[in-house]
Amino acid sequence: MSNLNETDIQGFVLRGYNMPFARYLFLHFEDAARAATFVHRLMGEVTTGQRWDSGKPQSTVNIAFTHRGLVALNLPDATLLSFPVEFQQGMKKRAEILGDTGRNAPDQWDELWREDNVHAWLGVNASSPEALNARCADMLTIMRETNGAILLAAQDAAALVFDGIPTTKEHFGYTDGFGNPDYLGVERSVQPGQGKLMPNGTWAPLATGELLLGYADEAGELPVAPVPHILASNGTFMVYRKLHQNLATFRTYLDEHAPFYSGGKEKLASKFIGRWRDGTPIELSPDHPDQSITQDPNRSTNFTFSADPVGTRCPVGAHVRRVNPRDAFGFDGKLINRRRITRRGLPYGTPVPEGEPASDTDERGVIFIALNANLSRQFEFVQQQWINYGNDSRLGNEKDMLLGNHTGQGRFVVQGDTAGTNPPFVCSNLPNFVELRGGDYFFLPSITALGMIGMGLVDPR
Amino acid sequence: MPNQNGKVYGLTILSPIIDDETAIPSHDLQIRNYLAKLPTDERSPFALAPATHLTRLVVMDDVIYVGMPACEEHLKSKYLIWESNCDGNLNTYLTGLAASIPEHLDAIWSHCVGYPGASNLQAFIDYMKACQLETTFFFAAVNDKSVTETLRALQTQRAVSDFIANHQGMDPARLQSDFNQFLTELNAKPTPRAGILTPYRDIKTGGRNE
Repeated sequence: MSNLNETDIQGFVLRGYNMPFARYLFLHFEDAARAATFVHRLMGEVTTGQRWDSGKPQSTVNIAFTHRGLVALNLPDATLLSFPVEFQQGMKKRAEILGDTGRNAPDQWDELWREDNVHAWLGVNASSPEALNARCADMLTIMRETNGAILLAAQDAAALVFDGIPTTKEHFGYTDGFGNPDYLGVERSVQPGQGKLMPNGTWAPLATGELLLGYADEAGELPVAPVPHILASNGTFMVYRKLHQNLATFRTYLDEHAPFYSGGKEKLASKFIGRWRDGTPIELSPDHPDQSITQDPNRSTNFTFSADPVGTRCPVGAHVRRVNPRDAFGFDGKLINRRRITRRGLPYGTPVPEGEPASDTDERGVIFIALNANLSRQFEFVQQQWINYGNDSRLGNEKDMLLGNHTGQGRFVVQGDTAGTNPPFVCSNLPNFVELRGGDYFFLPSITALGMIGMGLVDPR
Repeated sequence: MPNQNGKVYGLTILSPIIDDETAIPSHDLQIRNYLAKLPTDERSPFALAPATHLTRLVVMDDVIYVGMPACEEHLKSKYLIWESNCDGNLNTYLTGLAASIPEHLDAIWSHCVGYPGASNLQAFIDYMKACQLETTFFFAAVNDKSVTETLRALQTQRAVSDFIANHQGMDPARLQSDFNQFLTELNAKPTPRAGILTPYRDIKTGGRNE
């Protein structure tokens, strides 16, 4: 297939901007006509997927709507009712399906998300704090001038700075953001290990319809999408989750358990995720981190699990193996090609270097943003079956070590061998290292669809 | 013998549901209502009775032709479908059910044509066999182990895994004495009742996600 019409797709969908600063503005619409005027005014600001031939901009702007937001914009009922049920319900009503219960339950969320007021997400990314503030001020000006949207809250997020250098690490110290899938038609340097595994062992891009509405997906079908087609086409669905990290709990747990693990503390930490904290995949380098692998795009995501069926290199329950099992379930990896998501987002809160006192209560975590054509089949499946359950990996009721909603009962088994430095090990009585503080499902429309919304032209007939 | 896979029996029963337009609610709805309210944990009738690995009861109203052009076709009757993975022999299994949960069997099957009741054992067995279809191919829920063996194995697996988790890095002498004591205690434990080993999952499953 030819390349996509990049000028019609929001840039946030097609690429991670790789900008170290972000502010996510959450908006509420009071009046449909004024809100539409606001959306219309915003069109000139929204960053598209067009190539940055004349240089990278200082900042970007993207917008997405909750179902309530589309209702507030007065879209026709025939359109509103044609959205998939999970999007109409929103993430809060899906809590039981996602395992967002107990400490992750909606009644524990931030006030912003306990109320049902969020109508839109306005994502501003920037290369500097000055550019971020300037662009956000522009947004507030448009909101004020059109009187079209109220700012409910703003969430800052930024790359964590360690020793004065911005990194791609998150608060537990793991280097993040290696594996996003490649999609057919998306212009991006293709990296082995990031698409779908082919029978001959090579990697190919996933079908466009796994990311974008209006294109064939891996089953050769168009994803379930609202009417009219032109409203949906080139758009996608976005998951926004504010994931709080209990840093003190994590460090204490690791420190208390490492002395019993003869592979050492850093190796134990690597077993949780499946990567050393510098990002080296333990499937490729089980005994030590290796920067020559992390720096090489031909190697950093280029691995499979079939030669390690019992998990002696990378545990069967390690995070990267759970959420992207590659060929671990057999059938050349075909079982997972319809369960892939694209991740965006950044950490929030101040990092605490190793050795300095950390607390659980400080505002600190990751803004998890995922894009997919089908919330139910992709994100929700991964969250329900692979994060909060273990059956597909033959791990019974075990959950993801770091992301699972353990409630103190959890267990994580590090498979090992007879080598003294790679012993089997059991981590039990797992606390919740990560807790959900809120979020929702959003529809991230194309530029054409934004225009239709902004000009009141959405017509399902 | 296609109904049998090693020790495990794949039972398929189709019982026609009574078609009585004067019954309010209809017999199929009465079965649905009863089934919907049955517990699925250790209080499930099939956990109380012996020898069931996995079972499912479904009311099949009709078949729907999915295709183009659409065409209308119907079953002669509504059916109660009962599928069970059980320890076979079939006679023993049915006898065990009739002895332990006759009130449940009667409450469900009394809405089916020709059901004689569970109190007359031979008539009950004959009825079920008359409704039986050959299973030919079925999902083997277990590796050729009886329900009792499976429950015992799960109990052992869980206990050993707890033991390992609680004894990592322990001094060898203490480990050995603890293990000997653990073994004695484990061997003395009664076999757990069916249905109680499943941990509570506070997640809503089913539907399109699975």
